[in-house]
Amino acid sequence: MSKELVNRWYSKISSVERNLPLLLVDGYAYTPQMAYDEVNRGSVLGAKMQSLIEMGKFGTSSLEEQAIAKVRLQTILASKPQDKPLFATMSNKVFTAAQLMDEINSGTLIGQQWVNGEVSRMSALVKVR
Amino acid sequence: MPALANIFLFVEPDDNYLDYGSTTLHQIVESNKQSGQDITELMGAEANPTKIKAVLAAKNPLFCSMIGHGSESIYTCQSLAPLLHAENVTELALISGRVLDLCSCLTATTLGPALVDSGTTAYVGYRQEFWFYIGDAAGSTRAVNSPFLAEFQFVASILRGKSTGEARTAQLAKYDEEIAYWTTGEGKNHADASELAQILTLNKSISVFLGESSVAPSPQAGTLAGMQINPAITFGVAAIPLAYLIYEALI
Repeated sequence: MSKELVNRWYSKISSVERNLPLLLVDGYAYTPQMAYDEVNRGSVLGAKMQSLIEMGKFGTSSLEEQAIAKVRLQTILASKPQDKPLFATMSNKVFTAAQLMDEINSGTLIGQQWVNGEVSRMSALVKVR
Repeated sequence: MPALANIFLFVEPDDNYLDYGSTTLHQIVESNKQSGQDITELMGAEANPTKIKAVLAAKNPLFCSMIGHGSESIYTCQSLAPLLHAENVTELALISGRVLDLCSCLTATTLGPALVDSGTTAYVGYRQEFWFYIGDAAGSTRAVNSPFLAEFQFVASILRGKSTGEARTAQLAKYDEEIAYWTTGEGKNHADASELAQILTLNKSISVFLGESSVAPSPQAGTLAGMQINPAITFGVAAIPLAYLIYEALI
């Protein structure tokens, strides 16, 4: 078990990502910032999070992973200007952050595409070395 | 008559936010084109079905790259004018024998397979929504260019003489490079870095390649690129016979 691996991992993650929920331990979601603090405190919780980071895993069931992905997207999109078009697709659709959030909350195909993409991104984030 | 190598058609509409992709595609064509290549770029209002069909008939290009809004079975160009329908054999025949890079949503589900079934040599496209960022003006920042830099790496590699398979490998690698840029690289603290990484992750995951992987639409471009030899080396090689003659004369 290497505390340095966690510190290196934390140092490579952006300041925004450090404060988004990522790691699931005992049914609770924790941010990279919390993981960094707990690991460096040497707590039992920190050891569990360190183990997840070392294994390159962030969750237990796909249902939990999707739930966290949704929370992350809601947090990210809520911080954006709500009425400015930010995203477009090559099927002639344009979205503000608020419109995209509606798609995610309503579970449309586009919303589900973003949730699945976020799960993939979370998986890649926890494997950053 | 088979489609002709070294002849390229680029369709670059600019309405309905398509200027975001077309601006980047134009830049990529400019920075990767090689001497001896015959390149036609139909831009803005010229990116219409009549002009496209005329260029296909007159020049018979082996490689085409087209930007436009799409659905499962239709590709459209400027002003949302349809060019290709999956069920229209006459339209499918327009692309027969060619390599087609289609930057358009959803076409990999129906139109792409129909094209390949009707003789398109290779097709690259997307089976769900292709996303891009419009938070800045078209072509003005890495953020707006990034999804298209990854998508059009296929075009850049083809222009530099790579085969369709090699270009596809380079395209997927460019996706990884752009994702890394926004995740852990210089772009990670951009205000919209998370969404940019998200968009690239989504686009990569729904990108589809169909058809032949060994076709090189500009084979001699690769050869010429490989022959860019340092002039000092060229001089050194040329001097060897001269040195031998001098040696012979002296002994």
